[in-house]
Amino acid sequence: MATASPPQRSPLMTPSFLLAADLKARYRPQREWVEGRGLFLIVAHFLSGAGAAAWLLAVPLNGPPGLVVGWVLVALSGLAHLAFLGKPARFWRMARRPHSSWISRGLLGLAVFLLSGGGFLGLAWLGQGGSALGQGLFWLSLLGAAWLLVYKGFVWASAKGIPLWNTPLVPILYLVYGLRGGLAALLLVALAQPRAGELAAMETLKLWLGLSSALLVLVYVAVMRGTGLTAAASVRALLRGQAAAVFYLGVVLLGLVWPIALGAYALATPVSGVVLASVGLTSLLGDLALLYAVARAGLYRPLPA
Amino acid sequence: MRLGMVIDLKKCIGCYGCAAACKAENATPPGVLWCRVVKVESGTYPQVRRISVPLQCNHCGDPECLKVCPTGATFKHENGIVDIDHELCVGCRYCMMACPYQARTFQHQVLGYFPGGLTPYEQRGYQRHQEGTVSKCNFCLPRLERGLEPACVANCMSRARIFGDLDDPTSEVARAIREKGAQPLYPELGTDPSIFYIAP
Ligand code: SF4
Ligand code: SF4
Ligand code: SF4
Repeated sequence: MATASPPQRSPLMTPSFLLAADLKARYRPQREWVEGRGLFLIVAHFLSGAGAAAWLLAVPLNGPPGLVVGWVLVALSGLAHLAFLGKPARFWRMARRPHSSWISRGLLGLAVFLLSGGGFLGLAWLGQGGSALGQGLFWLSLLGAAWLLVYKGFVWASAKGIPLWNTPLVPILYLVYGLRGGLAALLLVALAQPRAGELAAMETLKLWLGLSSALLVLVYVAVMRGTGLTAAASVRALLRGQAAAVFYLGVVLLGLVWPIALGAYALATPVSGVVLASVGLTSLLGDLALLYAVARAGLYRPLPA
Repeated sequence: MRLGMVIDLKKCIGCYGCAAACKAENATPPGVLWCRVVKVESGTYPQVRRISVPLQCNHCGDPECLKVCPTGATFKHENGIVDIDHELCVGCRYCMMACPYQARTFQHQVLGYFPGGLTPYEQRGYQRHQEGTVSKCNFCLPRLERGLEPACVANCMSRARIFGDLDDPTSEVARAIREKGAQPLYPELGTDPSIFYIAP
């Protein structure tokens, strides 16, 4: 059944205008996964990665507060996914094709995690977290969280229309960035309720993950530059084009330089909670910026070939 | 049976007749182009050449859009046509990211072409389109069911388009591919397109 809106004549942002402009360009930008409601998808993937990693890392590092924060972040990612969809009331249909679609696989992981994690938290609140049911749910939630952390990169990497994403490097990059996001969230939680030895362990891990992600971003950019004309055009968009401002300010400065510099300094000299909080916050912003910048730089192969 | 098409770039005069016929037949709203014609310039002055390349969904034998669709909204008919069930589509747009041929459009709003509301033609034609879902060419399946050719083929004044069964070696389309060496777009991607182009 068609749902036809009355005509709206905003001068430059009509679908026809954008389409005409895009089709004139040799490399047409993808817009649906980064503009308008597409921004919700970026936020959803950021929240699900950070939340799942926070849940996993809370076990050795932080305990119950981290688990709650992790679960809430993943639940918010579910809401952001709904806000992104064109027909959100039909969301449950997305679980129908797990044999071939990474979105189906992700939705199943999300459902498993939210139900088992929520069940475990509920039982723990009632003092039954150590029961057989509580432990069963907990282990299931760990599996769900691990799956959530991994699947997101494959959603992007399986998009054959966008060469910048269609590489095995993307799942690795997004996995490491998910872990970084989770750790940054736990750092903020730990600053609110510090426990002995906890912060030192997180700082060291955070620095290590910061350095690894910096190296991964470098490798990703260098490899994609040599992976064909379209991927090279996307790298230009990332370094000098429409995604450059977010890349340099968000990914490099906030997400890498600041956390790594302060992390290294904090290893040598004790620093205040405010400084550590800034590391957590900027790191989270950097993670969000990376997802945004890579999506924004996504270009289709030129047609005709 | 596998329906497919040959587009002879030697014959195409770039008149946009196919794109206009597609719009008229399928009542696609503004911003939605199931069939389009791209002009490509090559060479340097005075040795310059301009060709026209019509583009649309390739109804791939191994379609990426179908693999990634989480709902099963994208499906394939027995005759090889890749289609979308709009009642199942959830508007995730994964198919748009997976299709290497930019063949799909997300319908943010089903707008009219003229100020002052939808025309009677639009009111009727837009019954086929849903806001918040993705759409694309279906080789004019309703016309095929009535024994007609797709609108782009029937309306091509220079007969640049040949439509038929790729599996039937005696069909005009199969012969054109064989005899004129027609090639699909980006064959190296393994999508096995059903539209072939005769070089200009
Ligand atoms: S051209 Fe694109 S939309 Fe059409 S069948 Fe192939 S992959 Fe799917
Ligand atoms: S937008 Fe619709 S047709 Fe495309 S992948 Fe999502 S559910 Fe399938
Ligand atoms: S109608 Fe025929 S000649 Fe005109 S642009 Fe389309 S394919 Fe080319």
